[in-house]
Amino acid sequence: MNGLLIAIKSETFIALRTFASKLIVAAPALVAAAQLLLVRLTEAGQQARDSLLGGSNFEADVANNAYGFFVDSLSTGLTMLGLLLVAQAAYSYSYERDIGSIRHILIRRVSRRSLLSAKLIHLHVLALLSVLLLLVSSYLLSGMLWEYSAIVEDGFELISESEIREEITLGIQLALLPLPAAIAFGLLISVSAQSATQAVSTALGITLAIDIFKGLLGGSGPLSLCEFPAFPDRPVLFTIRQSHSARLFRCIDR
Amino acid sequence: MQALSVTGLNKKYGSFAVLDDLNLQIDKGSIHGLVGLNGSGKTTTIECILGLQEFNSGSITALGYPPPQLHLSKGRLVAIFDSPSLHPNLTVRQCLEHALLLCEKPKRSTEDVETLLGISRFRDFKIKNLSLGNKRRASIAQALLGDPEFIVLDEPFNGLDAEGVDDVLELIRTLNRDQGTTFLLCSHQLPYLEQICSHIAILHKGKISHSDTINNLLGNTQTILQLKTAETEAASKVLETISGAELIDIDTDGYLNIRISGADSIAINQAMVENKIPVAELILKRASLAGLFREITSEDA
Repeated sequence: MNGLLIAIKSETFIALRTFASKLIVAAPALVAAAQLLLVRLTEAGQQARDSLLGGSNFEADVANNAYGFFVDSLSTGLTMLGLLLVAQAAYSYSYERDIGSIRHILIRRVSRRSLLSAKLIHLHVLALLSVLLLLVSSYLLSGMLWEYSAIVEDGFELISESEIREEITLGIQLALLPLPAAIAFGLLISVSAQSATQAVSTALGITLAIDIFKGLLGGSGPLSLCEFPAFPDRPVLFTIRQSHSARLFRCIDR
Repeated sequence: MQALSVTGLNKKYGSFAVLDDLNLQIDKGSIHGLVGLNGSGKTTTIECILGLQEFNSGSITALGYPPPQLHLSKGRLVAIFDSPSLHPNLTVRQCLEHALLLCEKPKRSTEDVETLLGISRFRDFKIKNLSLGNKRRASIAQALLGDPEFIVLDEPFNGLDAEGVDDVLELIRTLNRDQGTTFLLCSHQLPYLEQICSHIAILHKGKISHSDTINNLLGNTQTILQLKTAETEAASKVLETISGAELIDIDTDGYLNIRISGADSIAINQAMVENKIPVAELILKRASLAGLFREITSEDA
């Protein structure tokens, strides 16, 4: 236990003083925010054109619901986070082995088991921080750029805000499931590979290869929900939206 | 008391046996040098001792711990490797602070070791921006933060300038004398090892071919006296009369190579003078570790 604590302290010490950990925490939120801003800019142009032509309709109202943009930005952020975690996990052990710094830790006070456990814990903490930052920033920014509202047609509330939030909460919970698997997969590659370069390229290569072959699962595709890890072309939230709540998202999705 | 005991160590890379029934014992408080040709298995031996490589058979205990449990010694054994093994994006100070986290009982502060190794002015430099010599100093500084009983150094003099080498040699002497720290030094710099080591082990063909105190090892080798004179024949006859002196050969430069065991250079010179043989040069070639090493490793070449 003592060795594990020392290993966690060691990981934290390095993380606070290097760039990679900060990138994992901040990059998904930054990219999601950039996406929201770009969409808003594009939309502002579209609205200006529409207002010149005159009129508005239900589709346009739905399209302006902030929940849709919030979910879209989460999809982007979580997809990026999944890939970053795979890459960082693959890099962490193999890089320290490459430069030899891992030897100092192993010889002195930490067993291999404690060291790997510490890396797992450390990467989970980074993932958690990143998700929290992503959620908060995307939620606030979506709310600033659009308006959170229920789906209303002809004065009747078709889907209430609480229903939408429940669905999104479920989606987020399911979307988080692949992250621990992504971390474990990356670390497995990291300890098996012969160099950091090999580890990162192999981990990302396999991740993308799985994504390609996933299509062969056909109707069983949604069962691999935990479509591990979150894949670039079909983000987890996208799948959840389609399979679990098609009606809702048909309305609010753009 | 032994700091290290290696018995019957075997290590193969594929079908190639790097270490073949290697035995090595190191007493506490000694400075033990491990020498060998390139590829003789010195680093492999060290990595097996430190639990960084698995071995095929044999047993190792360092400070009473087998390699997989070495971390239980809680920093009583530390190692300084041939490559500096420091995180390149940390500064020197950060590296030392990181190492401090790993110390059970820090004995020196980061400032102390920076001063000791002469790297105070580089404390805010990133490791990747340091010269190899200063990286090595930082690496040694890291090891000295705690209170290690046993320090393993792989190629400690690589990249160090003359002043750096002197500092490291003095540091090793001081730690050994004042705190009884045991050292295992693995290096190709035989003159430095000869200066500092109490014991030498020569690793050749996967085995420790010779292991003893440096005095015993060098005591068993012969001292050669080179004598130059115009009257080589007369000098040869005089040498036959001196007990403990044996003429080996006369080389192409006209030097008489004389093996002396028992006799000394003064007696030989005196005999030459008494026989009115003019001596142009008299060179005493003392036994050296380098000479012994060459002799041993060239035997089977």
